Amino acid sequence: MIKTDVYEQALFETIKRGATEISPDVKDAFINAIAREENPDAKKGLSATLESMEMSKQRENPLCVDTGWPIFYFKVGNKCELEGGFVELENAARRAVAKATKLGYLRATMKHPLTGFDPGDNIGMNIPDFTYKFVDGDSIEISYAAKGGGSECFGGTRHRIVAFADGIKGIEKFVVESFVASARAGAVCPPSVLGIGIGGTANVAANLAKEAACLRTVGSKHPDPMFAKIEEDLYEALNSLGIGILGGGGSTSVLAVNVEYAYTHIAGIACATSTNCMVARRASSRIDAEGKVTKMTSPNWFGDR
Amino acid sequence: MAEYHLTAPLKDEDVTKLKLGDIVYISGECFTCRSRLQKYIFDEGNSLPFDTKNRNILIHNGPIVVKENGKWRLVSFMPTSSIRFEKWGAKSVENWNLKMIVGKTTMGKETAEMMKEKKCVHVSPQSVSPNLWIDSIEVQNVYLFDELGSIEAAWHFKLNDLGPFIVDIDTDGNNLFDKMDKEIEERKIKALEKLGIEPDYEYTKLY
Ligand code: SF4
Repeated sequence: MIKTDVYEQALFETIKRGATEISPDVKDAFINAIAREENPDAKKGLSATLESMEMSKQRENPLCVDTGWPIFYFKVGNKCELEGGFVELENAARRAVAKATKLGYLRATMKHPLTGFDPGDNIGMNIPDFTYKFVDGDSIEISYAAKGGGSECFGGTRHRIVAFADGIKGIEKFVVESFVASARAGAVCPPSVLGIGIGGTANVAANLAKEAACLRTVGSKHPDPMFAKIEEDLYEALNSLGIGILGGGGSTSVLAVNVEYAYTHIAGIACATSTNCMVARRASSRIDAEGKVTKMTSPNWFGDR
Repeated sequence: MAEYHLTAPLKDEDVTKLKLGDIVYISGECFTCRSRLQKYIFDEGNSLPFDTKNRNILIHNGPIVVKENGKWRLVSFMPTSSIRFEKWGAKSVENWNLKMIVGKTTMGKETAEMMKEKKCVHVSPQSVSPNLWIDSIEVQNVYLFDELGSIEAAWHFKLNDLGPFIVDIDTDGNNLFDKMDKEIEERKIKALEKLGIEPDYEYTKLY
């Protein structure tokens, strides 16, 4: 049985790490992008961003002032037992978000959608968001992701049903057109980690796209060569556009293109995109049945697909 | 492209010389604003509780500021997308006599027209680097904190060579990103062709 104070402390530490420390895979992607950048201003911009992100760890301040929508992913062992159960896990996550906000690791960004009421602690109806995946075992892996407002609000996240008659061509056209429109003038804070969900109903595709954007290790490939090829082709295509960091021109417009899929109805292919912004914040921890907490360098969300 | 170090209050001649793509660093007094403030003033009929005559730079941003030992400390700062306040952009430039808007992305046509008339520029960051900026910003004061909350309140900052920012709308109403659109569109057609998608390709219309 994992005690409440153990998982509550792990949740808080994971939020803080996600908000203030660059993930190692994102850091590698930045180093590669700086090395191959041909536009001198973009090279400076990428270097300044990386420098600032590295300072955040030591200053313990957010990687970006927009600390985003707080989102949790729980990969739960089928035999995992939590003191207070999963209701208490979610309560503990809410308390940890409120505490991280009070301490300035998160900005009080969440507000009422109609009145604009600001609770001041990022807690409200259906926020934070929780997603579960069940696997064998008795441990739990918690991932915290922060989806930035720019990355989500300017058309980087969208959906279309593509006809079977159009197939991969239709999907790729939709992705390229959407990305160009959303990255204009740097709206989605490119270079992006672009997630693409193919198949399922619209919400399944949208969730897969978001998970592909927020949880896949940057630089990883889909194990199925058919999908890995789409990732590779789109990565090349989008980086040939010259949009660059914050839309000012440059060789890197995406840090990664990650595709995930679900089977779909014979009637059509739901296709969704989700751009994560360049800071691509997330952190993960594993808690085993004895309550031992281990920091994870990557979420392993798609480890078993 | 030229680089300028400007000090507020900005005069017409400070900004009319700026060309698209120039780099600017700014010093002096400015204020922060997000849409909630513009709604409060222009839609809800309130007036701005301070004078912008000598504070004619608007920074579109919702900073993180905490109070420590009775003093404000800026934790993080990053300009945010100006296009969001296009609805009140022209009114803001006109009523507040703005000479410079610092924000991410850019403004739309209506605001750019007013900026041309009133001689105002829009500048934007080319990195997400709060830690390279916060040491150049002194928090002076805050207005409408209780009414609008800490993020959407109007913060008064004193800047010390804050930058670099790139000029993306000049005082003739030209827009850097409009110019880039054409090049990107051409590259997009090539990229699609490489993916085997011809320029006249059309989706099967399902809806
Ligand atoms: S979308 Fe842009 S402003 Fe928002 S968190 Fe991401 S990098 Fe920061």
